[in-house]
Amino acid sequence: MTPDDDLAAAEYALGTLSPAERAVIAARRLREPDLDAAIRGWELRLQPLVEAAPPIEPADDFWPAIQARIRAAAPAAAETAPTPESLIADWRRRASRWRLAAIAASCLAALLAVGLAVRETQRPAGPREYVAILQKDAASPAFEVTVDLDRQEFSVRPVAVAARPGKSYELWIIDPRLGPPRSLGVIDEARRRASLAAYDRTVVEDATYAVTVEPPGGSPDGKPSGPPVFVGKLIPVGP
Amino acid sequence: MTFGANAPGGDWTAGESNLSGLIRRVAAGDEAAFAALYRATSGRLNGVVARILPAKDMAAEALQDAYVRIWQRAGDFDPAKGSPLGWMATIARNRALDEARRVRPVSLEDLPQNFEPEADTVDPLAAREKSEGLAALIACLEALDEEKRAILMLAYYRGASREALAKRFGRPVPTIKTWLHRSLTQLRMCLGS
Repeated sequence: MTPDDDLAAAEYALGTLSPAERAVIAARRLREPDLDAAIRGWELRLQPLVEAAPPIEPADDFWPAIQARIRAAAPAAAETAPTPESLIADWRRRASRWRLAAIAASCLAALLAVGLAVRETQRPAGPREYVAILQKDAASPAFEVTVDLDRQEFSVRPVAVAARPGKSYELWIIDPRLGPPRSLGVIDEARRRASLAAYDRTVVEDATYAVTVEPPGGSPDGKPSGPPVFVGKLIPVGP
Repeated sequence: MTFGANAPGGDWTAGESNLSGLIRRVAAGDEAAFAALYRATSGRLNGVVARILPAKDMAAEALQDAYVRIWQRAGDFDPAKGSPLGWMATIARNRALDEARRVRPVSLEDLPQNFEPEADTVDPLAAREKSEGLAALIACLEALDEEKRAILMLAYYRGASREALAKRFGRPVPTIKTWLHRSLTQLRMCLGS
């Protein structure tokens, strides 16, 4: 670790890095234990400041929303070195829980509908949740892309990815019907959801998803600067 | 049920060992403990998040995300490495910063509703009760110029970007960056770690 790295760790903890710098440090810390430790050190140094900040009570509806989310999520999912199989299994588990919740919800809806002469509207058939594990080979998952067809949204998160100092990872959707690869944006730690509304459902389902290494902030001309380093296709996991 | 000893230097709230105990139970999947943890800390964590994210919907989502992460990562909490609230607040703060940097730099003029700019400037030097950790940090902050200290505080409490700080203090961005680096280096030497 250089003195510059320590200052980057300090500014990461303080929060003053630019979005591109922050994304680079977030990606590097996953693979550089020294940098990760430096960031943690700075977080601890600054942490006592929190005591001095007066509380602001959150709205009442926050807790039910959090409760619903932790019940939907896999309990205490291991965050260290997951395999593609375990990630997919994990998603299937979550999906089956959603399915149960959906059945419970539709039972309740049916009860409520009794006597109201309300015609139940069926959800369109077919899976609604997809996941793609983008990887170089079967043993090295790098990014997890999840797609919610109802919301026409995707999210992407790094699973275990090698550091590329001074570079950005960019996600692409590739399908013959689209012509050249289309950018879905630069992947930074913060990026969770973005819209897929511009793409047909069938394209979203069939497409290949790929990640390239680009200059900081992404490809300068909207085209991949090099060959994909990680690729994957969606598999259905949801009801 | 017995609770562990307080974290070193972290005895600034009576409920601290209680919080550690709750986090331990949360790590075992205890939802009732999680509810109690939320009740005990949500005002504090929301205070951290809401000052950084001006838009209410963004702040709401960031706080909820932070609690989901706390639920998932409770097993990582190590009482030997800082206070339970500090650990939780760091998760919430990082989440808020990620959101703030994802969308656009936070403007200091773009304050959340219901915030009076003056009233909202957190001044740790004015804190009435201080843990050992905060007292030591304040002693080091007092050694900085007033302007440089204000810059650190706006960055920490409001998530101010270098650009926002440059605008606020009428200095070029590279100057702000240099000041930040000097201040942080000085802070580190002062804290002796």
